[in-house]
Amino acid sequence: MSDHEPMLTAATAREEATPHPTAETSLLIDIGSAWTKASVVGRTRGRWRIVAHTAQPTRWGERTLFEVLTERMRETVDHRLRDEVPAILAAAARITCHTPARPGRLGVAAVTAEVSGAAARSAAESAGWIVVEQAAADDGRSLPERLSTLTAADVDAWLVVGGFDEARPEQALEAAALVAAARRGGRTPVIWAGSAALTEEVAACFEPGVVQAIPNPRPNASTEDLAPLRHRLEDLLDRLVESGGTRNLAPIGFRRTIEEIAREDHLRVVGVDLGARYATWAFADGTLDPMTVDSRVYAAGGMGSPSLGTTAAIGRLARSLALPVDELAVADTLQNMRARPASIPFSEEELQVVHAAARLRLAALAEERMPDSIDLLIGSGRVLAAAPTPMRAMRIMLDGLRPLGVTQIALDGAGVLSPLGSLPDDEIAEGIGVLRDDLLVPLGTAVVTRGGRSGQLAIRARLHRVGWPDPETIEVRAGQVVVMPLPRGERAEVDLELEGGATLPGPRRTHRLRAEVSGGAVGLVLDARDAPLMLPRRLDDRREVIAGWLETLLREPVPGRPRAATSDREPARRGLSRFRVGRDDRGRDVSAADDANGEGGGEADR
Amino acid sequence: MTVSRFPIDDGEPAVHRVPLPRGAVPHVRTGSQVRPDQVLASRREVGEPLRISLARTLGRRPTEVSELLLVTPGARLDPDQPIARGPDGREVRSPGHAIFLTYSEADGSALLVQLGAETSVIGHVHGTVLQVTRGFISVAVPGARLEGVGGTGDAVHGELAVAVHTHDEELRAGAIDVSAAGKILIGGSRASAETLTRARAMGVAGIVLGGILDKELRDFTAIQRRRREIGGMTGSFAVVLLEGFGKVALDAQLFGWLRANAGRMASLFGEEHLLYVHEASGPPVRSQMAEIGDRVVIHRRPFQGRSGVLVGVLDELHETPSGIPAVTGVVRMEDGRLAAIPLVNLEATIAPIRH
Repeated sequence: MSDHEPMLTAATAREEATPHPTAETSLLIDIGSAWTKASVVGRTRGRWRIVAHTAQPTRWGERTLFEVLTERMRETVDHRLRDEVPAILAAAARITCHTPARPGRLGVAAVTAEVSGAAARSAAESAGWIVVEQAAADDGRSLPERLSTLTAADVDAWLVVGGFDEARPEQALEAAALVAAARRGGRTPVIWAGSAALTEEVAACFEPGVVQAIPNPRPNASTEDLAPLRHRLEDLLDRLVESGGTRNLAPIGFRRTIEEIAREDHLRVVGVDLGARYATWAFADGTLDPMTVDSRVYAAGGMGSPSLGTTAAIGRLARSLALPVDELAVADTLQNMRARPASIPFSEEELQVVHAAARLRLAALAEERMPDSIDLLIGSGRVLAAAPTPMRAMRIMLDGLRPLGVTQIALDGAGVLSPLGSLPDDEIAEGIGVLRDDLLVPLGTAVVTRGGRSGQLAIRARLHRVGWPDPETIEVRAGQVVVMPLPRGERAEVDLELEGGATLPGPRRTHRLRAEVSGGAVGLVLDARDAPLMLPRRLDDRREVIAGWLETLLREPVPGRPRAATSDREPARRGLSRFRVGRDDRGRDVSAADDANGEGGGEADR
Repeated sequence: MTVSRFPIDDGEPAVHRVPLPRGAVPHVRTGSQVRPDQVLASRREVGEPLRISLARTLGRRPTEVSELLLVTPGARLDPDQPIARGPDGREVRSPGHAIFLTYSEADGSALLVQLGAETSVIGHVHGTVLQVTRGFISVAVPGARLEGVGGTGDAVHGELAVAVHTHDEELRAGAIDVSAAGKILIGGSRASAETLTRARAMGVAGIVLGGILDKELRDFTAIQRRRREIGGMTGSFAVVLLEGFGKVALDAQLFGWLRANAGRMASLFGEEHLLYVHEASGPPVRSQMAEIGDRVVIHRRPFQGRSGVLVGVLDELHETPSGIPAVTGVVRMEDGRLAAIPLVNLEATIAPIRH
C-alpha cells in the first residue's frame, strides 16, 4: 500500500534546510482472532497515505508488529527521520479495533420459532451475539426437553420474546417461566421483548430489576422493527462482554464504515468481512432517504465455522474444486485450518480447498440476503486480502456472492475499514476522505447475469474507452466468464446486450443497457454463469468446467496499449467517488430505448 | 498443541475448570483436596411435566387462584413445599422435587416439571479447589497441562501408558488388549475408527494421538452418539490429538516426554482437547514465533508433523507453492533435507527448562 514517497510534512518538502522535519502519523490496527493488521497513516506531500502496512499472526505480539512496521517505515521515511521511527510510531495516535475476545452468548425462549424466534435471532446476530440455544413452544420438543436444553445452556444473557402487543398468550409466560427455571437466580440479565400486556407478569417471574423490557419487535402481524432490540443487545454486549465499547469491535466498526461509504457517495454497498472466527455482512443503501442498513454478525461464521466440518459441506467443497482432491484430504485441510487459523495454505491443493471454503461461507452469508443490483461490493478479511492474486480474491467474491448486475468490486486490502469504523460517528467520513487513495483496492467491475440457455449467446458487450479505437464486440455464452483488462483508475462505458434468456436485475428485466464501469487490478469481468452457479452433475464434467473457469480467470490479461494512452483518470474527489459505478441517468438502464426497440433490436440510446 | 512459551516452574500447578451445570449443588469448598473420582457437585435431571389442579383443591374459581400462589414461575420446589394457600388455610403442596412453570386461569391447574434422581459431577482431576462459583469449580492440578487441536468424547482419567514404539507409528487395533483397560494410551501418528472402537470396547479410558483423519474421528463420534441414543453404552471414553488432522506424527521430543511420564495418573478431556499429566514436570513448550536456532514443527502439508531446526529466515518475502508470498524460514529437517516454510506454518518447540 505504500506509495514509496518520502514521508514529509509540507514544510520540509518545500525546504530541505528548514528545521528538523516532523511527522504526523496515525496507526490503524485491527487485532483479529488469528491475524493482526496494522497500517501507518502518514502525511506525505500534503496528502494522507498508508505509508507502511503489515499483517501477522496475532500471537506474535505487539513488539514484533512494531519491529516490522519500523523496518517498513524506514524504507519510506525521510532519511533525517529514520532513527526516530520507533519514537514516531510510539507517539502515533492509535485507532484500534479487535475481534471480540469471545462472543456474547444468548439463550432465547420464544413463542414461535418462525415469527418471534426468528426476529429475536436476527436482532441478536446482527448485534454480535451468538444464539447458543433457542427454545420455542412450537419447535417440536416437549416441555422437559426445552427446559433441559435451556438449563444446559451457558449464556451471558436471556432473551424472552413472543406475543403481539394486544395478546396475552400463555406460551409467552411459559417461555418466561422456562428461563426463570433455567436461570436460577444470579446476575444474568433477562430481556423481555414481547407482548406489552404481559410485561408485569413476566417481570414477576424474576428478582426485581432483572428484567429489562423493551418495545416488542413484532407488535402485530404486519410490523417488524428490530432496531430497539438490536440497540439494547449492543449495549448489553458492551456492558457484559466488551467493557471497551462495541464501537471498538471489528464487526461493528466494519458495519459503520460500510454505512458511511454508502452515505457519502449515495451508493448501494455490500461489505463482507470474512475472518477466522467472525463473519460480518453489511448492506447499506445510500440512495434512499433515510438510508437503510442491514447487517449481520456471525460469531461462528468465519473460516473456522463448524458448518464447514459437516459431511455435506465437505462433499460440496470437494466437488467444487478444479483439482482432484479427495474428501478425506479436504476434511483434514479444513480442520487444520480451524486448528491453526494463522497458518497459510502451502500447496495449490490447500489453497483451492481454503478458497472453496471461503466461497461456501460467503454463499451462506449471502443466502436470501444479497440484494439485486448493488453498486459496490467490498470484501475484507485475511483470506481475501492474502489471496495470491487479485483475481483469486475476485473469484471468491463472485462465486460466493453472485452479485447480479453491474457491480464494482473492491478489496479492503489493508484491513482499515474496521478500525476506521471505531472512530466517533462524525470522524468516520473524515477518515474515509483522508485515506481516499488507499482505502480500498479496486479489483474492477463485474457484470453478472441470471439465466441464459446453456451454450447459447448470453452477453454481447462493447467496451468504450476514451482514446481507444472503436471496440470489438465481445460475445459471452451462457456458462462462460470473460475478463477484459481495464486498469485501475480507468473508467469506461460498456454497452451490454443480453440474449438467450439472460437477464440483469432491473424493473423490466433489462436486456440492453449502457453502464459506466471502473477498472481495477482485474478489470471488467463478464460473467454469464447464472446465479446460483450452474454446474454439471457428473464429477468429471463439473471439474472440467470449474478448471476452465479458473484458467480463464487466472490467465494474465493481454497487455494493453502503451501506458501513456491509458490515462483518462478523473481527478480524485473526496471520499469514494472514484469508485462510483454510476447511478446517474445516463448510466444503468436505457429501458426507454429497450422498450421502443424490443428485445434484441436497435442501438441503445445514449 | 499450544502451551505457553513462558518457562514452567516444576510444581507450579495448572488450573482446571470443572463446569457446573445449572442447578448443580457443589459439595466441595475452596481449599478442599479432591481426587479424580470424587463427586464435586450433584444435580437433578429434568423429568416429566405434571399438571396438578389448584382451584379444585383450594375450592376456588380458577381466576381467584393467581392471588393465592406462593411461588413464582420458574421456582424450584422441594417435596411438600406449599404452592398455593387459600384463605381458609387449605394448601396445595409439591408432590416432590419439581419446577413450577405456569398457572392456567383457564382450568385452574399448575404446570410443574418433575426433577429426577440426583446425578453426580465428577472432576476427573486431583488437586486443590481454588474457587467455587455457580458456573464452575476451579482446581489447581499439580502437573502439566497440554492443549490439543482436536478431540472427542468425555472427561476421563487413568494411568498414562504408551502403546506404540515410535512417535510416528500408527496405533493398531492389535496393539490394544485387556491390560490397557482403564488407561490413557499414547498412540502415534494415527488410529483408525476401528482401533478406537476396539479400544473403547476393551475398556480403555482414552487415547492421545499426534493426528487422526477427520473422517475417522467423525465416523467414530457418530457411532458413539448413535450407541448412546439407543442405549446400552457404558463407560466414558475420550480421544485427544495434539498435532493436527491427517496422519501426523507426535513430535519426537513430546513423545519422549510422554513416555518418560508413563505410569502417572492423567486426565483427558475430549471435547476441550485437554490432557493433564499429574505430578509431571513441564512438557516441551510450544511457541508460534520461531527464532533461528529453534527446533520447530511444521504444520502444513506436505511436511505436516515433521520437525527440524530453523536455520535461517529469508530476507525478502518468498512465494509459497500456493502463490502466497510470506516471510519464510529455512528448516533443516531431521532427515537432513532443507525446506523453505512460511514462518506462520512453524511452531517452535522448546525443551523443558528442568526436569
